[in-house]
Amino acid sequence: MASLIVRKNVDNLLPAELQALRTGYKNAQAIMDNRGYNHFAGLHGIPNWFCWHHDHTRGSAVNANLFLPWHRAYLLSFERAIRDQSPATPKVGLPWWDWTSSISHSSGVPNAFSVATAGGQPNPLLRARIVAPTATPPINRLTRRFPGPPSQLPTAASITNLLNLSQFNDFSTQLENIHDFVHGWTGGNNGTVGGDMGSLGTAAWDPIFWSHHCMIDRLWYLWQLKHGVSNIPPALLPMVLTPFSLKVQDVLSPNALGYEYAVSFVTL
Amino acid sequence: MASKSKAAADKAVKARPTTPSTHTADGRYRTSAVYKSPRTLPVDQLPAQFSRADIEFIGIDHSGASYEARVYINNPNADANTPPTEANGYAGSYYIFGHGGCFGDVGHCDIPPKQDSFDIRPSHPLEPIRKVVIATDAIKNAAAQGSQINVTVVPVILSWTDKTVLTDVMKFDHINVITYD
Repeated sequence: MASLIVRKNVDNLLPAELQALRTGYKNAQAIMDNRGYNHFAGLHGIPNWFCWHHDHTRGSAVNANLFLPWHRAYLLSFERAIRDQSPATPKVGLPWWDWTSSISHSSGVPNAFSVATAGGQPNPLLRARIVAPTATPPINRLTRRFPGPPSQLPTAASITNLLNLSQFNDFSTQLENIHDFVHGWTGGNNGTVGGDMGSLGTAAWDPIFWSHHCMIDRLWYLWQLKHGVSNIPPALLPMVLTPFSLKVQDVLSPNALGYEYAVSFVTL
Repeated sequence: MASKSKAAADKAVKARPTTPSTHTADGRYRTSAVYKSPRTLPVDQLPAQFSRADIEFIGIDHSGASYEARVYINNPNADANTPPTEANGYAGSYYIFGHGGCFGDVGHCDIPPKQDSFDIRPSHPLEPIRKVVIATDAIKNAAAQGSQINVTVVPVILSWTDKTVLTDVMKFDHINVITYD
C-alpha cells in the first residue's frame, strides 16, 4: 500500500528533509520545460492566468467560488513535480508556513525561506528566476520579497473564528481575505517597488508561495474535519479545475489524493 | 444564518478621492484616496436584533496594487494613521491581492462582454469582485450610540508593480449592510 505524503510545518522539518526539499526546488528551477518550476509558476498568473480567485458567475447562476479546490489541485501537481526532482530519501511533501505561530510573529517569513545560503549554496527557497518571454515587456529576473512587520501576521484567534464559520462560501470568502493579506504582506515593498508575492501575476515564482498555499489548504482541511469533507455546494462538484485533469469532486479529500497534514512525523 | 435582511444599500457610489496620496506615519506603506460614504444609514432601518452584520463591497476592481481597505464606522476623519481600534470605529478590513497591472498585449485586460448563453468560457480574471467584512460588533456599537451610520474606507497599499497607479487604488461599485438573524 502506498503511504500518504505527509505535509509538515516547515519549522518542524528535519535537516535532511529540508535539504531534500531544497534539492527538489533547485533542480526544478533549473528545468525550463513542463517539468520545471518556471512552468508551474507560470500557470498561476503570467503568462497563463489559470488561477481561480473569488466568485465567478459569468455564464451561469452558480456562485462558483473555486479558490480552494483550484489551489488544492495546483499544489498537488507542483508537489509531484518537486518530488520528481528530489532525492529518493527522504521524500518530503510540501511544508506549510504557519503564519499564526509565535515564531512567525517574531521572525516573519520562516528561516528556511529567508536565509541567503544553505550548505554554501544559494538558497533555492529564497528566490527564483522569473522567465516570462511573452509578457509585455518580457520578464527575466530574480524574485523580490519585502515582508512587513511580523506582528501584523494573522493571529491564531482569527483562525479560530474562521474555522467556526459553517457555510463553505462564507468560510472560503473569509479565508481568501486572509490569504490576500498574507500575499500583500509577504510581497511588501521597499518604497520604490513591490515584492512579487504581492502581485498575482508573479506571486507563484516566489518559493514561499507554495508553503503559504499549503497553509491555506491545511486550513480548508481543518475546516473539513470540523464541518464535513463533502460540505460544499453540490453545483460546484462537476466543475473542472483547468488546466488540471480534476473536477472539484475529485479534490475534496486530502487522504484520497494521497497526502495528509501533520505537525510532526518521525520514522523510527 | 436562517435569513438575511439587506438594509439601505449605499448605492452607486464609486470610491471618490478625498485625500492626496501619501504614506503611513511609519513610512512603510502608501495610502491613497479615502472613500467616505456620501449617504448615511438610519439606524432604524436595521432590525432590533441580529446575530451578525456584514458590510459587503460589490464590484471591486482588483487589477492594480495589493492593498488593505480599513473600514471605519462613523469616523469620517479616519485616515491611514488612524489606529484600527474599536474606539475609532474600526470594523475590520478587506484585502485585495492585486493583479499588478497588465502584462499582456493591448486589450488583454479589457473585460469582454458575455457573448451569448452558449459562451461557456469562464469569467475574465479581472471581473470585479465582492468582499465581505464581518462587522457585527462595530455595527451594534454604532447603532447603540447614535441614529445614523456612515462608512469610511481607508486604503493602505501593501505592494505594487511598476505597472500600477498608486493615486487611486481603491474602486468599487457600492456597499451593502446586511444583517442576519
